[in-house]
Amino acid sequence: MRLLLVEDEIDIQTFLRASLEEAGYQVEAAVDGKTAERLAIDGQFDILVVDLGLPDQDGITLILRLRQMGVRAPVLILSARRSVDDRVRGLEQGGDDYLTKPFALAELLARLRNLLKRNSPPGSEATRLRVLDLELDLLRREAFRSGEILQLTQQEFVLLEFLCRNAGRVVTRSMILDKVWGMRIQPDTNVVDVHIYRLRSKVDGKGQQPLIRTMRGVGYVLKDR
Amino acid sequence: MSSRTGKPVIHSAAWRISLWATLAFACGTMLVFVFLHRFVEGDIQRRSDAWLSGEVEVLGDVAERTPKDALYDRVVGEVAELAGKEVPNKDPSETSSNDSVFFLQTGSNGLLKLWVGTGSGEPNLKAVQTTTIIPDHPNDLRVQGFAVPFRVASTRLDDGTYIYLGLSERDELRVLRSLRLRFFLLWLLIVLLGFSIVFYTTRRMLRHVRQITEAASRIGHSDLNARVPTTKRNDEVGHLALTLNRMLDRIENSIHQLHTITDSLAHDLRSPLTAIRGKLEMSLSATHGEKAEPIVSAIEELDRLTDFLNKSLDVAEAKADALRLDRNEIDLDELLRIMIDLYEPSMSEKGLQIRLQSGSPLIIEADAALIHRMIANLFDNELKHLPSACTVNMMLGVEDGFASLILEDDGPGFDPEVLTHLFERRVKGRESNGHGLGLAFVDAVVRAHGGSVAACNRETRGARISVTLPLAANQQAKSPPVASHDVG
Repeated sequence: MRLLLVEDEIDIQTFLRASLEEAGYQVEAAVDGKTAERLAIDGQFDILVVDLGLPDQDGITLILRLRQMGVRAPVLILSARRSVDDRVRGLEQGGDDYLTKPFALAELLARLRNLLKRNSPPGSEATRLRVLDLELDLLRREAFRSGEILQLTQQEFVLLEFLCRNAGRVVTRSMILDKVWGMRIQPDTNVVDVHIYRLRSKVDGKGQQPLIRTMRGVGYVLKDR
Repeated sequence: MSSRTGKPVIHSAAWRISLWATLAFACGTMLVFVFLHRFVEGDIQRRSDAWLSGEVEVLGDVAERTPKDALYDRVVGEVAELAGKEVPNKDPSETSSNDSVFFLQTGSNGLLKLWVGTGSGEPNLKAVQTTTIIPDHPNDLRVQGFAVPFRVASTRLDDGTYIYLGLSERDELRVLRSLRLRFFLLWLLIVLLGFSIVFYTTRRMLRHVRQITEAASRIGHSDLNARVPTTKRNDEVGHLALTLNRMLDRIENSIHQLHTITDSLAHDLRSPLTAIRGKLEMSLSATHGEKAEPIVSAIEELDRLTDFLNKSLDVAEAKADALRLDRNEIDLDELLRIMIDLYEPSMSEKGLQIRLQSGSPLIIEADAALIHRMIANLFDNELKHLPSACTVNMMLGVEDGFASLILEDDGPGFDPEVLTHLFERRVKGRESNGHGLGLAFVDAVVRAHGGSVAACNRETRGARISVTLPLAANQQAKSPPVASHDVG
């Protein structure tokens, strides 16, 4: 996967490049709009990460120019502004995504994966999900651990499905709130954790290998090996 | 718009102004006419008096010189008749004889000596004898049988007899009556015309004022780009519009500056925060065991700092009425059920119960992200401050065209010290460990949406927070019945 990173803050660019490369992306970086344009035309990129506040031009202007030049790859917009501009919303409707700084790396990676998935041709949607000995029947909304049915509420099933779809990868609390409850909020209480504890008590029975792991300071991960 | 259709014309300022202006105009013209009338009246009388005095002198001369023989009556009578013919008979009812003039000579015995005029002359004689008439000076004389008084001039002859010449005031009064009638008709016409002109112009002018008012009230929240309508005319109303627009320019400018400041502040803080967080995360992935602990707590501190930054900026912007809202339709009923679903496990973990009373969907038009965070703040507030075994009751309904959300708990209630300034920044109870922005944020968001928040302690026990938010336009017509439905 070839990724173009457009970010003028060297500090941020450095750690982003490192963690993106670690996640398996081939990263090319640009510090301003001009360089980004040149790179985008020369190289075939699968995905772009663009910061809105560039020294020579507005990030949105750059994206619109790239679109005019025929660059089709999806864009993840990084914004230091919290309230979202109408133009960003327009791009979001056009299939791009945005992320407010500061963000968790896990969330950045998850959004990149979503963007790539959205833009790849739709495969046949699976009706069953399987992670180790955990199995989810998406049609009948039932979950099994080692063949035994788990008594889950509707909401717990959605939460478990989200964890399974991201098995092996860290999901943050705000990702869970966004995807499972449809809210971009940051509660200063442990609401998500309690949901996870409850789910864990049902999924990871006595004597079984614990599947749901807490990554302190980051989020949660469903083990896939 | 409402002022155009709702209020009758009689209550408008244009109506009042034109009424008073017309009244003043009508009184003024009436006063002028009264003076004019008196002048004309006096002038006509002066003219007829002059004629009477002249004629009576001539008649006196003739009577003196004519020998007192059998022909005396005829000679003097003829001269008197000739004088009477000088006065035009304008009464259309009488064609042959002229009753507007009479000539009368009294004998020394007090009897009628000579009479020229209509009728027998006896009533005239009686009137002359009962009224004191100063010679050589015309007087008013009322005669029985005549509706209109006569103007009479007299002179004394050398033989001690008096001659009288009378002229009816009928013509004079007729002239004046017709003058009054014409004036009154014209006056009515002018007054009505004046009223319509004044009413039309003030209404036009005030319509512009009303347009300005309507535009200004629309501008209110968030919509600062709009301007009030201006005219090319260089009058007071035009100045008002220009002044308002200049004021709006300044307000928009300062709001814009505030946005720029908060944006750049946010940017300047967020960039280093992003870099720090990224570096911490990277070093966390390379660290295991106990060494990871400080990094983890550093990340958590950083996230709290970010949250604090976000809330502070939101509260600051909302207090300055500068919060940028992206309004969409939100079903409060559905939102509360999702929130309860999210918070219920944490609450029951702490031994708290939460109940919702809500009947049916309740749609508001609001910024979804802000409303979500506002409600989450209310829930966080309850979750953090209530001791175990308490119950939170939520009631959602419609009140006076507003969506009303009431949260009641049976906990210890608000600290009386902070109750009065609960919604200010950095106010928190003694035992609170938050940064004191939660309720300030709730207040800011609700106000930005045109709603209100109130908090008090319940009479029995516990706290009560009530939030009102404007309903969506299509929701206002119907008000759903509130039915009890327990959740949790």
